Amino acid sequence: MINLTINGKEQKVDVAGDTPLLWVIREHLQMTGTKFGCGAGLCGSCTVHINGEAVRSCQTAVSEAVGKKVTTIEGLDSKGQHPLQRAFVAEQVPQCGYCQSGQIMQAAALLAKNNDPSKAEIVEHMNGNLCRCMTYARIQRAILRAAADMRGV
Amino acid sequence: MNAITKTDKATDAGVSRRFFLVGSAAGTLVLGYAATSKLSEALAAGPGAFAPSAWVAINKDGKVEVTVGKADMGQHIASTMAQIVAEELESSWKDMTIAFASNDPKYNDPVLGAQITGGSWSTGMNFDAMSRAGAAGRITLIKAAAEMMGVPEAECQARESRVRHTKSNKAVTYAQIVASGKAAKVWTADELKAIKLKAPAQYRLIGQSVPQLDIPSKTNGTARYGIDTFLPGMLYGKLALPPVRYGAKVTGLDDAEAKKVPGFVQAVVLDDKTGTTSGWVVAVAKTYEGARKAADALKITYDKGPHAAVTDAAIVAEAKRLQAEGTAGFLFVKNGDSAGAIGTAAKVMEAEYLTSLNIHAPMEPMNATAREENGTWHIYTGNQFATRTTGIAAAVLGVEQAKIVMHQHYLGGGFGRRLESDMVIPALLAAKAVGKPVKVIYSREDDMRMDFTRPLTYQKVKVGLDGNGKPVALEHDVIGAWPTARWGIPEFLTPAVDKKGPHDSFTVNGADAWYTIPNHTVRNYKNEVAQNATPSGQLRSVAPAWTFWALESVMDEIAAATGQDPVEMRLALLDGSGANAGGDKPQTSGGAKRLANALRTAVGRSGYGAIKLGPNEGMGVAAVSSQERSSPTWTACVAHVAVDPGSGAVTVKRLTIAMDVGTAINPDGVKAQIEGSALWGASIALHEKATMKNGAIEQTNFDGYTPMRMADAPEIDISIISNGEAPVGCGEPAVTVVAPAIANAIFKAVGARVRSLPITAEAVKAAMKA
Ligand code: FES
Ligand code: FES
Repeated sequence: MINLTINGKEQKVDVAGDTPLLWVIREHLQMTGTKFGCGAGLCGSCTVHINGEAVRSCQTAVSEAVGKKVTTIEGLDSKGQHPLQRAFVAEQVPQCGYCQSGQIMQAAALLAKNNDPSKAEIVEHMNGNLCRCMTYARIQRAILRAAADMRGV
Repeated sequence: MNAITKTDKATDAGVSRRFFLVGSAAGTLVLGYAATSKLSEALAAGPGAFAPSAWVAINKDGKVEVTVGKADMGQHIASTMAQIVAEELESSWKDMTIAFASNDPKYNDPVLGAQITGGSWSTGMNFDAMSRAGAAGRITLIKAAAEMMGVPEAECQARESRVRHTKSNKAVTYAQIVASGKAAKVWTADELKAIKLKAPAQYRLIGQSVPQLDIPSKTNGTARYGIDTFLPGMLYGKLALPPVRYGAKVTGLDDAEAKKVPGFVQAVVLDDKTGTTSGWVVAVAKTYEGARKAADALKITYDKGPHAAVTDAAIVAEAKRLQAEGTAGFLFVKNGDSAGAIGTAAKVMEAEYLTSLNIHAPMEPMNATAREENGTWHIYTGNQFATRTTGIAAAVLGVEQAKIVMHQHYLGGGFGRRLESDMVIPALLAAKAVGKPVKVIYSREDDMRMDFTRPLTYQKVKVGLDGNGKPVALEHDVIGAWPTARWGIPEFLTPAVDKKGPHDSFTVNGADAWYTIPNHTVRNYKNEVAQNATPSGQLRSVAPAWTFWALESVMDEIAAATGQDPVEMRLALLDGSGANAGGDKPQTSGGAKRLANALRTAVGRSGYGAIKLGPNEGMGVAAVSSQERSSPTWTACVAHVAVDPGSGAVTVKRLTIAMDVGTAINPDGVKAQIEGSALWGASIALHEKATMKNGAIEQTNFDGYTPMRMADAPEIDISIISNGEAPVGCGEPAVTVVAPAIANAIFKAVGARVRSLPITAEAVKAAMKA
């Protein structure tokens, strides 16, 4: 048995310690907001937070998450109203939507540390997250909007 | 495309829906096309089994649910359909909700007679049917409301989900009308046709950027994709694949090591009677991680089959051979006498253009879940072509099509990949073998190696110019694999102009462009080496992404060789004379002159020819009429690039795009589609290349196959021309216009002409030296 804390809730799962956290979250716990895109750390669809840091859950063994705080898109905000979530709706960012949980989780880690990022900082931080629908321009705009919102401007 | 109605008996429902019914069932008002005029008959079974196609349902609380037989893969098509309905129904946008249809033929496209989403067809083809559904609903609701209020119908007006008696200001809401059970009417086809729809000037919702209904669920993790399916007792399947793309057979299977993996259930060798897959094995286990380990542990031996030596070079060599031989082509265009005119031309130019294999790689890897219950097979997935997938599923299992129920989900990207049906096969056969529901998830490696790639194409273009440099003859040979022919749907093929036989016009669309060139010949060749070794597919925008690559490149080459301005030369050829006047269908109204306008718009917005560019920078233009000649979306692009003369590396600084979409139902939605498709075009122009070696696709993940990332995305300036003409598709044309515009810009910047996609720094560098 492995004990995890996900979105503030204790979870017990019966899996091998080397199982990627992604599959534990998605398939065992059926929290499907976190997505599988490449399984190789190349696309960012599976991004979650561990102790506030954005990590690729496909590259993280479940054993590494023990004793740490895991946050998924479902737990980013209890009402789904994180400034980024509101901004992604306001800018009408998602197309197919599949990459968007990962985009939002990746961006949330940036804004938690830096609520006034430059465009270059955004690009650097987000470049590992692929969007096959190529919503990049809107993602940038939404991050800037959310940052402004968080700064209260 | 009406022809497809003949391909499947089940689609007859599409043609025989002669009535439109409005009636109540269990407190819900249902509006839908039906084959019967008997409302009671249709309603008798209750709302769950409502016989006619329940496209629209209004609930007691006034919520309007629009059920769409389309795949939503990011184009927000369900939301767009809801917007069209709401316009005529006069329902409030906040009351609108969307749902997806099952594969029941009652949800078939009213024009196509099938459930298929592709070719940018959806909006244009459904506009009338959805508008009339909304209007018939509104009229029926007004009649019932007038009765409820005891006032004349003519004095009532519907707005924002309520009917108001204008004189007395009395009103009832749609929710109240539904609750009264009074709204009911059977509309005949003639009555429906007689409804006067709104003129564009009367639109309140169409033309507004209302928020897309699917977007909130895609920001909080609640949108459900096929991969998010869970069923009681469900097992997992992971593919174990042969070393070649197609043609292998399993000759031996040793599962001794797999048996040591906890939770391993069984390895299933797929006996795929449809030939969609070859040599595939599914490892089934209790968990997905177990299935992955088991698949890796299987020891499988193969007969690699007849295509195990095929390479890109072999495909190109065969294409060149076919073209040189010149006899196997099918005539797609034959106007005038191009050979004769070339013979007497003042100047003749020739060029070859290539495009590489490309992989769809939608972010959601292929997957499907299958379950059997009382002889009926349920499939849970996201698919663009439910009608064909149903047929494949039935054939694979050896059951009737009626025994297949497909549960549609959001598609984590389609781009044409999910027009295919392969993903349901391992799920069905594994579920059948183990007697339990099975979810099969392709790894990204499986997804890329078994992609139905965009075909590698080779094109040869020959032009004859008169003394003024005006093209008077054009010969265009297109050689590649034929994706649509592979589907085996005869009605999807097109007879050759000289009646030689049917060919796959989806591989040559666009070559019948709108330039006035009196002598024009286009031949379409099927490359069998490619056809067999690289089962090819439809990739976003399909043929126009290669035909316009050649055509719009050669236009620039002509301009450069004869000292003409590439914009002026194109405008002169887009004179809208003869057949290029258009207007045989609403979509083609205005003809070539609309493309000339789009070109002028893009050119004007870009500063082309006016603003000063930096060193080694250039602007290039291209103008296209993608997708098909009968459904053109007039699109022009100016690309502004900078080339590093040392390395040949290309930076796209800005893409200026103008698109005439006729009527933009949701301008922001149109803009989003153009943004995405323009970047897709830039991505295949510069970043994406797949290769075949030893009969296998060499790239297996996003390290080897590298779609554009945020850092490479250029600025985009978009002009949407919305002039009240018929709405046309907007999700694909920009893909086709960007690559030639970039190549033409590179030529302007550093004099390097690159004729092969993707454009690499090495190729630019080499062309600079040449
Ligand atoms: S699925 Fe983890 S980075 Fe792609
Ligand atoms: S929205 Fe489709 S992959 Fe990003």
